[in-house]
Amino acid sequence: MSKNPEAPNEFASLPADKPGPPMVNRGPIDPNFQPHNEIGLPLPPPLPPAAVEVTNVSRWYGNVVAVNDITFRLDPGITGLLGPNGAGKSTMLHMLAGFLAPSSGTVKVLGETTWKNPGIYAKLGLVPEREAVYGFMPGREFVVQAALLNKLPNPEEAAARAIHRVEMEFAQERPMGGYSKGMKQRIKVAAAIVHEPQVLLLDEPFNGADPRQRLQMMEMFRQMANSGVTIVFSSHILEEVERLAENVLVIVSGRLAASGDFREIRRLMTDRPHTFTVRSNDDRKLAAALVSSPIVFGVELQGGILTVRTEDFAQFTHVAARIAREAGVTIFEFRPTDESLESVFSYLVKK
Amino acid sequence: MNRVILSLTVRQLMGRRRTLLLVAFAFLPVLVAIIYRLAGDDSIDPQRFVARAVLDQLAVTAVLPFVALVMGTAALGSDIEDGTAVYLFARPIPRSTIILSKLLPAWIVSAAVTAVSVLLASIIGLWGEPMANLPVAFAVATILGSLLYCAVFLALSIYTGRALIIGLIYVFVWEGLLTNFLPGTRLFSIREYTRAIADVMSSTSAREWQARLDGPEALVLMVVVGVLAVFLAIRRLERWEIGETG
Repeated sequence: MSKNPEAPNEFASLPADKPGPPMVNRGPIDPNFQPHNEIGLPLPPPLPPAAVEVTNVSRWYGNVVAVNDITFRLDPGITGLLGPNGAGKSTMLHMLAGFLAPSSGTVKVLGETTWKNPGIYAKLGLVPEREAVYGFMPGREFVVQAALLNKLPNPEEAAARAIHRVEMEFAQERPMGGYSKGMKQRIKVAAAIVHEPQVLLLDEPFNGADPRQRLQMMEMFRQMANSGVTIVFSSHILEEVERLAENVLVIVSGRLAASGDFREIRRLMTDRPHTFTVRSNDDRKLAAALVSSPIVFGVELQGGILTVRTEDFAQFTHVAARIAREAGVTIFEFRPTDESLESVFSYLVKK
Repeated sequence: MNRVILSLTVRQLMGRRRTLLLVAFAFLPVLVAIIYRLAGDDSIDPQRFVARAVLDQLAVTAVLPFVALVMGTAALGSDIEDGTAVYLFARPIPRSTIILSKLLPAWIVSAAVTAVSVLLASIIGLWGEPMANLPVAFAVATILGSLLYCAVFLALSIYTGRALIIGLIYVFVWEGLLTNFLPGTRLFSIREYTRAIADVMSSTSAREWQARLDGPEALVLMVVVGVLAVFLAIRRLERWEIGETG
């Protein structure tokens, strides 16, 4: 096994005919056990359970498929679940949270199934999208109640810590019925993190938060992620995901359209062909001038509307103005047609 | 039982304005008893009137199921409806504990309201007359009856968002109508169980008032239906799925 006999290797130095050292309590795994595959080579040690492990998961409602055969694995850090409305983000998140049963496949958080397993909520926190709160209850009481329901040894202290993290001390004695949308959101986050969960799931967490609150919450999530928490949040806003998530899962029409590093996905998104519609005083002349440019790979003049396809969004906006000037054409309107998130997503799906 | 959920539920149930209206409605039998004492015809037999009209037809037939229906469906159903249920469900608490901690406050509130009303109404109605144990008999019967109603309606509220409507149909069509024509339907009528318990415990003669089920029969059915309702509620909650919002 060891090439170097001097190396202190407790396995190699054990005489084969002698029994091993007396068992000490090193957890459930026998340290002397070496798994081998069919040809006798040792197998790598089993991986620790991933924070989140989703394997071939589908979910349908009647005939409607909401999530279609999705597989991914998440480690600590921040993951953004990005997709247009109705793409299946919420369905996926609710399956992670144990509030929807997968129609097929398995969903595991920290190695445990979440469906029909309330024990998991000792290590899992959920911030639902709906802004419902107990209107009569002061925010502090709501968070203390969450701590009590998690049977924390020191509920008041844990609640104070969580409320401090979301900066809600100033309103903690007021009934939540009078809270703004952003305040409700923050007190919900406080209740969800009061037991310091290892995995935190948030459904559209920035809805209703003003820019300052958004920044503050993002900073808090970053801190939590740095301390080893796995955070998964859903959003249909590209910019939110871009700013917060290190890892992105793009879900479109129930399928995982792309996953991985955000920059990689961003590149996929920006490298795609872009389409502009242009109105000018002489569309025909402009079309002829534009088509000679190397970054333009298509012009179309139909029904009085000039459509231009290019591969470089930024460069084209500069080049087009120069070409128009040289051709003596005045541009009235210049508009990218497919910048909506939906078109970005549908492009990714086709890839 | 979970102390936190218990106190939360009591506050939720008592904090609603409709609870106040419900309490006012629950004291209708007392009002009728007072009117009877003040203006009633001497030819009416007090025992017969109190047992039949005030306790059976008003308290057991209308007040008890209606109060228990509102409480039983609101105890957990309103949390599910307004979206706050997740704050209880996303906690490491056995689902059976949640059900029992929601059922107990619903039961206590509806039992207290109806039993006090029954006691007051029958004591006022029978003041100075032989009581034939009617006040205690009906109080105990409505306390048991409200537990059963609450358990059934609580379970129903987890199965459907239309528990209130379905509950009303059960109370007024099944219990109020079908049991009169189809004796078999009485076996699944909480009203008939309640009446049977009251009948066994009181000493009225058949001429004055009589239930349609035997006491022991009713008691066994009560246990079976009650246990089944709680079991189904827990089972359903274990498989509870969040409503899709988008």
